[in-house]
Parts: sequence; C-alpha cells; structure tokens
Amino acid sequence: MTAPAFTSSPAATATGPTPPDRGRTKSTLRQRLSPLRVLMAIVITLVFVSPIYITVVNAFKSENDIDNNPASPPLHPTMSNITSAINRPDQLLQLGLRNSLIVVLCSVALIIPLSSAFSFWISRRQTRTRAVILASLAAGLMIPPQVVLLPTIRILTILGLDHSYPGLILSNVGGGYFSFAVFVYVGFMRAVPSEVVEAARIDGASSLRIWRSIVMPLVRPATATVTIFLSLWIWNDFLNPLFILGPEQGQTITTGLYLSLGQMQINFGQMFGIMFLAGIIPVVGYLLIQKQFRAGLTAGSVK
Amino acid sequence: MTSPPRRAGRLRALRDDGGLRALAALGLALYAVFIVLPLFMSLHTSLTNANPLNASSQYVGLANYRQMLHDSELHSAVIYTLVLAFGVTIVANLLGFGFAVLLNRTSLSYRVLRTLAFLPQVISGVITGFVWQTILTENGILNTLLQHMGLISQPVDWLGDPRLAQLSVGIVVSWVLSGFTTVVYLAALQSIPQELYDAASIDGAGPARRLRSITIPMTAPATTICVTICMITVLKLYDIITVLTGGGPAFATQSAAQYIVQLAFTSDEFGYASAVAIALLAISAVLALTMTNVLRRREVNL
Repeated sequence: MTAPAFTSSPAATATGPTPPDRGRTKSTLRQRLSPLRVLMAIVITLVFVSPIYITVVNAFKSENDIDNNPASPPLHPTMSNITSAINRPDQLLQLGLRNSLIVVLCSVALIIPLSSAFSFWISRRQTRTRAVILASLAAGLMIPPQVVLLPTIRILTILGLDHSYPGLILSNVGGGYFSFAVFVYVGFMRAVPSEVVEAARIDGASSLRIWRSIVMPLVRPATATVTIFLSLWIWNDFLNPLFILGPEQGQTITTGLYLSLGQMQINFGQMFGIMFLAGIIPVVGYLLIQKQFRAGLTAGSVK
Repeated sequence: MTSPPRRAGRLRALRDDGGLRALAALGLALYAVFIVLPLFMSLHTSLTNANPLNASSQYVGLANYRQMLHDSELHSAVIYTLVLAFGVTIVANLLGFGFAVLLNRTSLSYRVLRTLAFLPQVISGVITGFVWQTILTENGILNTLLQHMGLISQPVDWLGDPRLAQLSVGIVVSWVLSGFTTVVYLAALQSIPQELYDAASIDGAGPARRLRSITIPMTAPATTICVTICMITVLKLYDIITVLTGGGPAFATQSAAQYIVQLAFTSDEFGYASAVAIALLAISAVLALTMTNVLRRREVNL
C-alpha cells in the first residue's frame, strides 16, 4: 500500500525515543498527576492481559485452589499440572512442538533466499514489469486462505505431496507468506545505493554474488522482520496444517491442541498447564526480541 | 560462478544473471502454483458441481452462485461475519488508540506495560480460543469470579446463549486485535513532533482541542492500516471461532470462512464451497479497497 514507509529503516524510526523532557518543565499539575496516571495505566493493562495472567497463575495451582479463587497467585504452588502435561501418553506437546519447529524452520529457510533473490531481481526491472508483478503479489496478501485451500490440496495430490510435511512446507513457501516477504524486501532494497551494485558489477561480480555478499548484509533488518513474522505466523497457523497435513501425519502444536483437547473434558489445571507450555515459546521469543518485533510490525503492517 | 571469457557486455550481463534469475523464477513459480493457479481453479470449480464422490463433474454455469441467494445458513454466516468485522474493527481501533495515548510515555513502567499490551497478538488463535473458553464456559473462571464477588447469583452462559456467544466471540477477537492496533498507534504517536503540541498550547489549545487537531490527524495513516488489517483479519477468521464455539450454538457464531470449510470438507460440496469462497474473496476485496480509499482521502483532508 504505502511504499514510502519502507524507504528508511523502520527499526530506527518506528520506535525512536520521545524527547525525555517532554512537557516536564511546563506543567506541574501534570507532574503531580503522573503517579495517578501510572496507576491507571497499570490497572487497565492488567485487566487487558488478565486472560494471560489467569493462564500463568492457574498453571501452577491445584484444581481446588482454582475453584476457590481463580484470580489469586499460586499460594500453594504445584508442578503437577505441568508434569502431567509433559507426561501425557500422546506426547501432545513434545510432538507438536517438534513438528511445528520443523515446519517453521524449513519454510522460513526456503522463503528467505527465494523472496530476497526475487526482490533483488525485480527491483532492477523496468517499472512497468515491476508494477504488474508486485500488484499480483499484493493479491496474495489479501486472499483468504479458504479460497485456495481446496485447489492447493489437489495440486499437492498431483505432485504426490498431499498429507505430508514437504507438501505443507511447499504451500507455505509459495503462499501469501512469499508476498509478505517480497514486500518487506523490496522496500528495503530501494534503499540500497545503486552505485554499490554497479561498482561490484564492474569488478566482475555476478548478480548472484552481489545479492549474496552485498545486498543481503545491507538488508539484514528486512531479513529480521521477515524471519520474525513468518516464524510467528507459520507457528500459529491452524487451517493449513489441519487440512493439508490431515490427522494421520502427526500434528503441529496448534492442530494437536485442537484435535486432542477439543473432544474430551480435562480439568482446568491441566488445561492451563498445557496452554502455558504450548504458548511459552513464542512469548519468550517475543520478550527477547520485542524491539525488532514491534519495529517489524509497524513496518510490515504497511503492506 | 566462474568468470567467463570477456564477450559483448550485454551477453556477459545476461550470463551472470543466470543464478539469481533461477532463484527469482523459482520463487515466482511457487507463488504461481500455490496462489495464482489455485485462484483460477477455485473460479473454475465454482462453475461446476464438483464433488469428491463423483469421478467427473459437469459445468453448471452460475447455478452455485444462484444457490447462494437462497441459502439462509450462508446469509446468517455472512451477516454475522460482517457485523463482527465492523464491530471488532471499531472496538479494536478505539481501544488501541486509547491504550496507545495512555501508554505513550518513556519511563520504565510504561515500557513494561507496552510489552504486555502486545502479548495477545503473539499467542496462537488456538491457544487464545482454549484459554477464553476456559474463562467463559458456564462453570468457568469468569462466572466463578463474578459469583465470588456477589455480582451474579446464577452462572451466565457466555458461550451457550446464541446472542451472548456472538458477543463473546466479538470480545475475544477485539482483544487479540487491540494488541496489534496499540502497537501501531504507539509508533504513530511517537513520530508526532512535540513542537506541534507546544505551539498549540501556547496558542491556548486545551487537551481536547490538541487531540482533535493534532493527534487524530497525525495518526490518520495508522488508522488506515489498523482498520484495513482488522477488517481483512476478521473476514478470514477461522481458528479462534473454531476452538471457542465451533460456530455454535446452533450456528450462531459461524463465520463465512468456517462455512466454506464446512461445505468443502464436511458436506463435500466442492463446487458450491468454491463459489462461496469466491464470493468471500469479492466481499473482502471490495471492502478492503473501499476502506483504504475512504481512509486515504481522510488522511489528506484532516
């Protein structure tokens, strides 16, 4: 949609700090109100994230404690929910996490080189060719996955890859994720000075070599954004693994939870224990790299 | 690549491009096979009575599209999806904007709160669905808390009553998308120069006036992004509803996206499912383009 937002590195501008002296000298009223304001912000934020709080505290409480007061912190902390989640005979978490990890790693490892090479190639084409191809890629961002799901399964069946991990990974690589990656890369590649590319060409470097040794290091923030978001989206994807993988091929973490917990009743403690463990990887990942995360979101959402 | 003996410059450039072009072509080919081709296949299937039980399918013209006019289950799914899309978009944008204004400070406590505010966006729809289901179910966490506080005497069936279930889905989806809008609005707020506010204060503008004349116009591009993304997200929403309510009770919370999947994989009506899918695509495209256009114009006028 709006291209200009890509031209500068979003990591630098999007989360740039506000001036520290904002309004401080002017309003003493504001200063006096500021503890109140923090308090209000804290209360509202805590209410907002209360479902996550409920999950975390109740994962470490006995069923009795949950019934008595679901909102209290774990006063008699117990690991039994966690251990029973890990020791499930169906290995729900271990297998799900392993399968999701495989799908994410393979998909991202393929999308990054293909989309960045494509972006470098297209960014040096004529404007008209570029506009046409980018417009058709833009459609990929908007098409509801349900529209292409049935034909995708048919194509995978023809290729002999239906109900298989390679099939799921291949459809990830060619799907809307590719569009997203291309849009992020194209934005960043506009900022690569053409002199650098020309100089390397005169020195006899091939396009492949220029892409690998010059362009890729220069667009590292784009690679970070693409890696982070594609990993998260593919990790959290539900529809494609549910129908492309099907029930007999083992489950990813999302479809595994749905297929094994959707049918049967388990108690709240076990439920929260499983959800806590299933959600912890993306959450910890986000907490570790949250700055790039939000910068990438702000830039990426300008698709 | 080994460097070839020097020939005409043009030839050399072409030859050197080979490796890169192969990679680029492979990427584009995969996109063509898994997005462009399926799109045309869906379009074609939507004109047939394709069904996995029949070996061959016949061309039926626009019959599937005519069938949509008389399909009341489809109508209620589309209406619910549209109401949900508009409702969630409005709520998530108001909440996100308010939240961003509240959290737009630099001290440590605000930075921690900002980190927390984005969390709903990180968690998968499946986990979100299960956690909220445990909270909202009849003997769930919310009713337990409300009963302990003496606010209700009988448990409220948040997911069992059709109206309440429709509302509950709206709340959960708004919750997820508010995390996203908060972060986008925060980034927009942080790009507004402080001098604008200072100058306005000197001219005697109060907080309400500054909000109307500076903050809202300056965050208009963020609004465009947030509104469009919220719309598209709800229109293709599948995972949260599937886990939270399964489309029930009595199909009250069934979304258009879910109805397509049900037609395709449970009822085996490939032709009709494709027609509905194409219709959903058309609705999404028209809505997204119209919204973007209107909001772009608003950006200029503000």
